[in-house]
Amino acid sequence: MIKKIKTMMSKCLPNHTLQCVEHFEHPKVQNKRKDFLIFLFMLLFGIFILLGIGGVLAAQNNNPQVSGNTATVCCEKTTSGLFCQDVPAEECASDSTQVPTACESTSYCRQGFCFDSSEGTCLDNTPQNVCNAEGGVWSEEKPAQCDLGCCVLGDQAAFVTLTRCKRLSGFLGLQTNYKKNIKDEVQCVLSVQNQDKGACVYDFEFDRTCKFTTREECTLGSGVNGTGVKGEFHVGKLCSAEELGTNCGPTRNTVCSPGKDEVYFIDTCGNPANIYDASKVSDKEYWSNVKDKSESCGLGSANANSQNCGSCNYLLGTFCRDAGTAGGSKPTYGDNICADLNCKSTQNGKSYKHGESWCIYNDEGTTGKGESSVGSRFFKHICINGEEVLEQCADFRQHECIEDKIETSQGDFAQAACRVNRWQDCTAQTEKIDCENSDRRDCFWQPGVEFQAKKTEDGKGKIQNGVCLPKDPPGLKFWGGGEAKGICSQGNAACIVSFEKGLFGGEKCIENCECLDEGWEKERSDICTALGDCGPKVNWVGQEGYKPGFKITKSGG
Amino acid sequence: MRLGRAVLYLKEEHKGYKQNNVKMKMLERGKRGQVTIFVIIAIVIVAAIIFFFVYKPNIGRVFSNDVNPAQFLQSCIGGDVKDSVDLLASQGGYANPEGFILSNGVKIKYLCYNSEFYKTCVVQQPLLKEHFEKELEELLRPKANDCVNKLKAEYERKGFSVSASQPETKVEIAPHRIKINFLAPMTISKDSTETFKSFEVDLGSEMYDLLLTSTSIIEFESTYGDSETTLYTQYYPNLKIQKEKFGEGSTIYTVSDVTTKESFTFASRSLAWPAGYGLE
Repeated sequence: MIKKIKTMMSKCLPNHTLQCVEHFEHPKVQNKRKDFLIFLFMLLFGIFILLGIGGVLAAQNNNPQVSGNTATVCCEKTTSGLFCQDVPAEECASDSTQVPTACESTSYCRQGFCFDSSEGTCLDNTPQNVCNAEGGVWSEEKPAQCDLGCCVLGDQAAFVTLTRCKRLSGFLGLQTNYKKNIKDEVQCVLSVQNQDKGACVYDFEFDRTCKFTTREECTLGSGVNGTGVKGEFHVGKLCSAEELGTNCGPTRNTVCSPGKDEVYFIDTCGNPANIYDASKVSDKEYWSNVKDKSESCGLGSANANSQNCGSCNYLLGTFCRDAGTAGGSKPTYGDNICADLNCKSTQNGKSYKHGESWCIYNDEGTTGKGESSVGSRFFKHICINGEEVLEQCADFRQHECIEDKIETSQGDFAQAACRVNRWQDCTAQTEKIDCENSDRRDCFWQPGVEFQAKKTEDGKGKIQNGVCLPKDPPGLKFWGGGEAKGICSQGNAACIVSFEKGLFGGEKCIENCECLDEGWEKERSDICTALGDCGPKVNWVGQEGYKPGFKITKSGG
Repeated sequence: MRLGRAVLYLKEEHKGYKQNNVKMKMLERGKRGQVTIFVIIAIVIVAAIIFFFVYKPNIGRVFSNDVNPAQFLQSCIGGDVKDSVDLLASQGGYANPEGFILSNGVKIKYLCYNSEFYKTCVVQQPLLKEHFEKELEELLRPKANDCVNKLKAEYERKGFSVSASQPETKVEIAPHRIKINFLAPMTISKDSTETFKSFEVDLGSEMYDLLLTSTSIIEFESTYGDSETTLYTQYYPNLKIQKEKFGEGSTIYTVSDVTTKESFTFASRSLAWPAGYGLE
């Protein structure tokens, strides 16, 4: 018997297909076919130019984003006007300070807190020189001025610094009421929720007038509206109540109150009354006593664009807005309605509530199976004020979109986010359990295939029971540099097939015979494409590459 | 007895004195009352005159019959104020930004930037609101000069003698408004002399909230490398934040108010990811 050997080589190459690296509009929005020929011409022309000048520039690449191999300096100001960047020396402005060390080690670019003493805000990660140049107060450690506390602003609260509290109180004409002992934002908000509210009756300029406010503002501190006049507080009463004998009375007008969802009636003194209910415009009782939302019209409903009820619910997607700007119907009284903020019939055909977000992958190919097309990326869509807004996740599929639903009393609430695609160490995993560890990586296990080779001639080759591949293969800059080739070459394989020649001619395959089947080619091709922008792929609009990206060669007898 | 009479006399005399004294006191009080009234009236008149000249410096014989400087300057510069605010808001708060990303022909300033991959950005512009105010002052200064010169020419054409100094511009961005105070001292003389000090342009605007929200986003970017925009919209119903990500790792933010349609645009490059492993 004579043994004969043939070697089947599969070579995985970067996919040379057309990729729109920066597609700023959503794929569906673009007129793909119309622009495609122009784009093709521009890309080929661009590549031609790049190839021509590439050699010249290769030695002195000044792109800050690929400066990993170049020695950098901490530059106070770069030639492009950016502060405190670790860049090659030639990118530093001539009159700028530069030290051959990392910026975090320098005194001038050390980062810390920048305190704005006029607004009372603190900003972290600010270089010392930048902060000082803008008139801020810089400190390496968090200064005491940046400590947060509870600022009570009438019936509302803000968890801010003391200086900020003074500023906000000043804007609202209130005396500063700052509670340092409250160290939690939730506690801060809760602390003002149970305050007594009612009519504060006081004399001003020979008139008996009224302000709807809290007991604290009415009877303590600097008095009503900071006038120094303290009032007589009537808890649970509206200023328009006849028995109070003030100059405030009912109207047919409405108002949107700051920090409130609903449409409110407004009295002649400008105080908000109860929630707008057209049927109660002349109801004396409704204009006398404070009514809880649970006693209002349209309970449990969003009351979107309702002409008669102003009981909006932000969680259900309605909010008080001017009817003219909201584009809704004109209400029976006043100018405000519960505007509908929800999104109907979005791009995927579903309807979403205001604030909901979801993932969209519209490009060619599928996600999660190692089949992403070249140039494809994930999108997060958000419903904001009745408008479907999209956010791209990072390009080259370095981010992927994840989504889930929160169960609420008003139904499910969709939430999506762009998250880092953890593909980097997939191919290094040799065990299924490690590969599919979703806490660590985003990979999938392809059983029955091997990365490198079938059993070798000498029998020393390791036989694997599968390979670990990225669920969403990364995008590669296959048009330049050698990294794409390096990543794709992980899919190269050589399969040594042994034949036995018969005594009377002919030969019979005796080892690794499956490598001769078409299935083996398909298998290698799948591994190749799952590694990144490698192998026989199409781009995000479905166009095939202009090179095969994959090669099978046979050698031996 | 004598003593008793004498005492009586003294008593009567005293009584008479007392009566006379009361009359005199009444007369004196009457006079004092009159004086007090005159003093009060005088104070009121003086106060009214002071009030008139302090708070109404622009109303005078010169201005009432001719061009009103405040109105003239407001109409001259009013449009420029809005245009200048829009320009700054579209370019990250800078009229001529350095360190920008070009998007649709607009230079958008990086307010937070890191040229390297895998690193969070370094804040480029703290005190954003104050910077916006300074830039707006700078932008409006030549326009204010131009308007003052035009006003001067207008008065001189009408035969007035005008003395005006360089106007100073002071911008204050506050919740719901932008207040611009132009200090433009000017003396206008013909038959009489009138002095004009300043005028104010008040623009309804939500720029204050947009700038503070942008500052908060910058803090998120510099700390975490990205920001979660839905958090803001859940807290602030009138806010809309659009985020546009570019291939090389930059993000352009457009923060807008859905009711007024105002917006503020800026760029950031933080925690950028390269293609592949980024080894090149």
